[in-house]
Amino acid sequence: MASDEFHRAALEHLDALYNFAMYLTRNPPEADDLVQETYLRAFRFSHRFQPGTHLRAWLFQILRNTFLTFYRLRERESALAEDGVPTWDAPMFHDAPEESSGAVEAHTDLERALRRLPEEFRTVLLLAEVEGMALEDVARILACPVGTVKSRIFRAKERLRGLLRDYTKE
Amino acid sequence: MSNHSPESDDALGTRLRTELRRYPAPAYLRGSITEAAEPPRAARPGWLAPSLAAAAMALVLLLASIPFLPRLLPADPTERLVRSVVAEHTRALMWGARRQEAVPSALPWLTQESGIALRKFFGGDDRLVFVGAEPVFLEGRRGVALYYRDGDGHLVTYTALPAPGLPLPESRRVPIENRWRPALMSDSGFSAWVWRQGDLGCFIVADMVSASDVERFKDYFVRLRVSTDPVPAN
Repeated sequence: MASDEFHRAALEHLDALYNFAMYLTRNPPEADDLVQETYLRAFRFSHRFQPGTHLRAWLFQILRNTFLTFYRLRERESALAEDGVPTWDAPMFHDAPEESSGAVEAHTDLERALRRLPEEFRTVLLLAEVEGMALEDVARILACPVGTVKSRIFRAKERLRGLLRDYTKE
Repeated sequence: MSNHSPESDDALGTRLRTELRRYPAPAYLRGSITEAAEPPRAARPGWLAPSLAAAAMALVLLLASIPFLPRLLPADPTERLVRSVVAEHTRALMWGARRQEAVPSALPWLTQESGIALRKFFGGDDRLVFVGAEPVFLEGRRGVALYYRDGDGHLVTYTALPAPGLPLPESRRVPIENRWRPALMSDSGFSAWVWRQGDLGCFIVADMVSASDVERFKDYFVRLRVSTDPVPAN
């Protein structure tokens, strides 16, 4: 795929990627950085993209990997700096941390509840339900079997319903 | 579907698709991504452009001032004439005579143009072949040049110019056959015989500079000196 054509095709997914980045970072400047870094990586490694496969899924995979590499690492580093205790034993599906001061405010209970979900659950719902991706594509992005994707969607919705119930009671 | 929730999986999925706010990318983000994706331009040090401009200006000024610079010409008039004669010889060597004439058929024209009359001239023999003759203008003087070529391909140029009282450096004068004492001078890798003949200065130039060449060059001098008699044309 020619460079210009690739750039143009990749930028068609800018809004979707930014939306995904906003729900991952909950912070516009960080979402900006994340999306920009995603595109830089995509352009730099465009030769690795196989024409005919889903460019959209490939871009989402880069974005999520970038997020996990930099943002999750940063969260761990800050945790270490604060209490000096390694977080290796932290549960995989831990709840999302409290929102930072720069985070945008959630407009609805649904958004609030989604933000409270662990990243693994939030991501699978955003990809499969919000973006309407096929389970195979979601599995490729998350680097796990399709069965695992189905299981995570089920558990994510269950957690989401629980949070929504809590908000209704408040 | 969860058994613990009144909201089905499908209904929750629909809510996620329809109720969840979407965040469109800010307009500037597309531009910044496109800009960042462009290949970086080769970094140029800040001092390079002014330095190049200054160097270019200095070069222009130098070129413009070249015609006004004093020429590095020899102060000695004989050396200066030798240099001019050698330059003319070199030009003929590189490009040939401007106009080759068979003397004496063109003698009236040559005399008129050069201001030099040839009462007799060397027309060539078994050692030197006459190539041609033409008028020349050297150091502000009109003169005549005769061209010969020897068996080894050396071009030999005989030149006669008005040069009353032309000084000849004593240290360079060479006695030949106890009859003549021309000066053997050199310039730009060429050898030149220089002598006075009345009010004329005469020169024979060739690229014969080695010891063995000098002997042959003496022989050429004798042949030309004996057989050529230039005088100023009135």
